Amino acid sequence: MNIYQPHLMNVVAVIDETPDTRTLRLQFKDPEVAAAFAFKAGQFGEYSVFGAGESTFCMASSPTRPEFIEASFKLAGKVTNELRQLNVGDTMGFRGPYGNTFPLEQWEGKNVVFIAGGIGLAPVRCVIWNVLDLRDKFGDVTIIYGARSVADLVYKRELEEWAGRSDVKLVTTVDPGGETPDWKGEVGFVTPVVEKTAPSVDNAVVVLCGPPIVVKMTLPVLAKLGFADDQVYTTLENRMKCGIGKCGRCNIGPVYVCKDGPVFTAAQLKGLPAEY
Amino acid sequence: MSAATGTALFLSDENLGNLVAEIIAAGRRLVAPARDPQAAVGGSADYRYISSAAELAFGDSLPRMSLKGFFLPQSEVLFKWHRKGADVEIEAVPTEFPPQIVLGARPCDTAALEIVDQVMDWGLRDELWFGRRNATTIFNLSCPVEDASCFCHAVDLNPDATRAADGMLTPVPGGYLVESCTEKGAALVEGHKALFESGDTGAAAERSAAAAQYRAAARAKVAADLQIDTTRIKEWVGDHFDDEFWTALGPRCNGCAACASVCPTCHCFDIVDEPEGVGHGARRRNWDTCQTGVFTLHASGHNPRADQNSRFRQRVNHKFFIYPSRFGEVLCTGCGRCSRVCPEGQDLAEVLACIDELARA
Repeated sequence: MNIYQPHLMNVVAVIDETPDTRTLRLQFKDPEVAAAFAFKAGQFGEYSVFGAGESTFCMASSPTRPEFIEASFKLAGKVTNELRQLNVGDTMGFRGPYGNTFPLEQWEGKNVVFIAGGIGLAPVRCVIWNVLDLRDKFGDVTIIYGARSVADLVYKRELEEWAGRSDVKLVTTVDPGGETPDWKGEVGFVTPVVEKTAPSVDNAVVVLCGPPIVVKMTLPVLAKLGFADDQVYTTLENRMKCGIGKCGRCNIGPVYVCKDGPVFTAAQLKGLPAEY
Repeated sequence: MSAATGTALFLSDENLGNLVAEIIAAGRRLVAPARDPQAAVGGSADYRYISSAAELAFGDSLPRMSLKGFFLPQSEVLFKWHRKGADVEIEAVPTEFPPQIVLGARPCDTAALEIVDQVMDWGLRDELWFGRRNATTIFNLSCPVEDASCFCHAVDLNPDATRAADGMLTPVPGGYLVESCTEKGAALVEGHKALFESGDTGAAAERSAAAAQYRAAARAKVAADLQIDTTRIKEWVGDHFDDEFWTALGPRCNGCAACASVCPTCHCFDIVDEPEGVGHGARRRNWDTCQTGVFTLHASGHNPRADQNSRFRQRVNHKFFIYPSRFGEVLCTGCGRCSRVCPEGQDLAEVLACIDELARA
C-alpha cells in the first residue's frame, strides 16, 4: 500500500462561516472506504486539492455523525486558496485519520469546559458535538469562544443553537474594536474572559485550542483558577506534510505532533520546549 | 559492528571489471562510485548507475553524495492525478522495484539505510522506501578513511562495518578480498562464481593478512579523530534546549541546507503537487530540511523556529537526542560530509566535541 495516496472524496456541501473561513462537508467516493472509515475526536487528516497540494486540518465534525466529515479552513495559503474554489460535486483527496484522540471515555461524568480562539473552534467543535450527542454521559458543558470581530466568529448558526440550549453555558467574546453596535457578548481577549468566567475546577476537564499565543496566554490563567495540568487538554497544529511520522516537520523537542499528538495535556506541554 | 564473516574469496581487478560487465549484460542496474562520464576534466566521484567498468572510481575519495538518493530520490512521484470533469482519477506508482546492485558502497552510507529504516517502518510502513531497500543488494568497499572529518568510530560504526550490507570488498594487492554476509550477497557471488578465486590457494593467507592490515590501518586512522560519548551527548542535548550554546552556532549557519542534502541519514521531505499539463499532474515527495525557515512556517505567518539558532539546534537535536530517544540510536554515521561541504565552516564533529566537553563539565 502506498501510504501517501489519498482517498477520493466528494464535496457535498460548502458552508461559508466568515468572509475568509469556509467549511467543506465531504463523503468518500468509494462506498467500501466509507464503510471502513472511523475516527475519534481529536484526530486530523491531510486534505488535498489535486494540483495545489495537501494541508493538515483536524476533523471539525463529530464521530457521532459518521455519514460525512467536515473540514473548516481559513484562507491563508496556496492550498486553502484552491480549496475555496471547490464547489459541491467537486473531487478532493483525503488521507487519515491520523494522530491521537481526546480521551472522552475517561471524561464521562465530568464537567467539560471548552475554550477556543478564532479558527481554533474547529477541532473543539468536533468534541463539543461529540459530547452534546452523548449529553447524558457528561456533566455541565461550558463553551468560551472568542474571535477578532463579530464577523470572524465561526459556526454562527451553531453558536446560536448552543446559546439556546439550557444544558450548555456559552460565553462569546470579540477583541476590543471587533464588536458591532448590537453585540451582546463580551468584549475582550479570550484569556481575560476565561478568568472572568472562572469555570469551576471541580470534576472538570478543559479543552483549549486557538492560535499558539492564545494557548500560551491561557494556560497560566487556568493554573491560577486552580486547574491541574492534567485536567487541561489542548490540540496543537504544527506544520505537517506526511502526518504519519516520516517527514520530520512537526517536532516539538522529542515529540512528533502527528504521532504523539495532536492532543496533549498541559502537563505534557510543560515538559516540552515552547517550539509551537 | 563486526566485519564480514563469510568465507573470503578473491576478485582480481580484471575480474571486478568482468563482474560489472556480467551484471550489466544480465540487464541488472548497477550503482557504483563513478566519475561523471560527461565531465570534461576531473569531476568528483559519485554513486551512479554505471554502464561499463571503465566508469568505476573505487580509488577516488568519498562519493560526493550518500547512497540515500537511490532509496529516497531527491524528487519522487507519489502518484499521478488526472482530472475528468469534476472527477479525478489517480494513477498509482509501483511500490515494487527492479533489482539493483550497489558495488563499492562506503560502510557509513550503507549503515545509514538501516538506521533510516526505523522511521520508515514506524507506524505506517513506507513501501516506496522498503520496495527499493528489498530490491537492492549492497557490497561495501572497506573504507580507507577519508580525512579528519570522518568519525564513524564515534557513532558505533567502523571503516569495515557491514551493517545493512550484503557483502564487502576489501582492497588487497591485485584486487579485492570478497566476503558475503547475507543470502542476497551469497547469491550474487554464486551467480558469477567463475570470477571469484577460492580462498584455498597459496596466496590466500597473504591476501588475508593484507586485508587485515588494511582494515587495522583504517580503524587506527579514524580512531585518532573525534572522541565523544553519544549517550552523554544525548542527555546533555535533551536537558539543554534553551542553553546559550545554541545561540553561538546559529550565526555560523546560513541555512543553505547543503549539510542535509549530502547527509546519508537526513530523510525529511516535503510533499508538493506539480501540474504536468492541463488537468493532470503528479504529487511528489522532495527532499527538504529543517535548516530552512519555511520548513516550519505556519500558514498564519507564525514560525515556531523563527531563527537559525533554533534550526541548527533542531538538526543536532534530531540526530543526537530525538532519534536515539525514539529509536535507540543516533541519526548519524560519522561520514563527515556535512563538515566538508559547509560553506561557513560549521563542523559537526567540532560541535559534538564541544557538547561532549560541556556534558562532562
